[in-house]
Amino acid sequence: MSEAISKLFLKEAFPRILKAMVWGSVTILVVYWLPMMLYPQNIIPIDYATPLSQFAMIAVFFAVAGQLFSGTVIGCGFGVAKAIVVIAYFFVISDGGIFSVTLPISGLTVNLAVDISVILLMVVSVNMLNIAKNLLAAIALLTEKSNSTDLT
Amino acid sequence: MKIAIRMLSIAAVILWVVILFFSVTAVYSVTNLGIDVGDVQMLPSSNGIAFSLPFSITNNGYYELADLNLTTRVTDPDGTVFDVTETFVPSIPRGSNVNATHTISVDLNSIMSMDHVSLLLNDSFFNVDIFAGLNFAQAIPAQISTNATIPWGAPFAQFSTGRVSVSPHNSTHVEAEMPVSFENHAVLDITGTLKVEVCNDSNEPIASGVANINASSHQSYADDIILYALQQDASALTNSGNIHVIFETPVFVVEWWEQNV
Repeated sequence: MSEAISKLFLKEAFPRILKAMVWGSVTILVVYWLPMMLYPQNIIPIDYATPLSQFAMIAVFFAVAGQLFSGTVIGCGFGVAKAIVVIAYFFVISDGGIFSVTLPISGLTVNLAVDISVILLMVVSVNMLNIAKNLLAAIALLTEKSNSTDLT
Repeated sequence: MKIAIRMLSIAAVILWVVILFFSVTAVYSVTNLGIDVGDVQMLPSSNGIAFSLPFSITNNGYYELADLNLTTRVTDPDGTVFDVTETFVPSIPRGSNVNATHTISVDLNSIMSMDHVSLLLNDSFFNVDIFAGLNFAQAIPAQISTNATIPWGAPFAQFSTGRVSVSPHNSTHVEAEMPVSFENHAVLDITGTLKVEVCNDSNEPIASGVANINASSHQSYADDIILYALQQDASALTNSGNIHVIFETPVFVVEWWEQNV
């Protein structure tokens, strides 16, 4: 019995865990390490390391969860959840598309407001595509499963 | 179904690539903007003072900067608006450099017409609200705003009149000497005519005198003004009353009241 469980673990779970670890590492490299290397904190006088690390945590969590449950309806659910969380996160940190920050420069208080609604729209669009893709994938999986059940 | 899913995946990947490419190049472009702001120059102009701020913007990024709009609003400590100036640069294409000068003109005539005599007699400050807006890559509007204060030096700071000394002039009139002093804290030289009228308790002029004033910037001025009055008014010259001070230049006329000491 335990040998069967071990075989099942080595055959099914271990590759998924390994794949999830690799995807998690790649995600943190691309989402956090690469931007911080290209644009160190001292280049722009805005604390973007904190929101970037939060976004990296979200991305890594969903990358790992997505890989662990890839090819399942739960994986598709994680895909939809990721898209919704990313949309909500971008809405929150951009304050609905108007990013504003107060900077102390040479003894003056400088208010900077940037209208990034175009970028926000692009992020929402790409995540809506992801939601549609994951819903279709879930429907495809369920259809495939019901067809195979009928045959047996 | 699988083709649709694949197409959606490809579209999502393409969109992510576009977003990342635009974001990275936009940040790179912003970090490669060269903004050089020169020193503020305070210059006398035909009708007052002009604050001139030269600046240059070098666009070394990948995207055009459009609709650059620099607006300044000058108000006094009470919030009264003295000046609103706007400098507009329609476009700064990538790889180009634009030099511009933002000039704020403070019209002394408007200051006088708004009954801001206290600005002539007391040092103060102006509030300057600065707004700058531009359209980055024809897609991302950005705006910067800040405020600063500019010290204002009064041209007749610590204006005072001394005790009048009276002496006989002729059979009908007496001659009086009134010491007048002030400090010119302004950036402008004060050149004009100072007329002084001494009034009795009923505010009727009983003596008047005129002096030509030429006080350089940041210099003190002290002189005696000669007044002539009828002999019967001689005692009123040294009594308490009001002094009507009128200062005239080719540009403006300003008048105020002082208490006779």
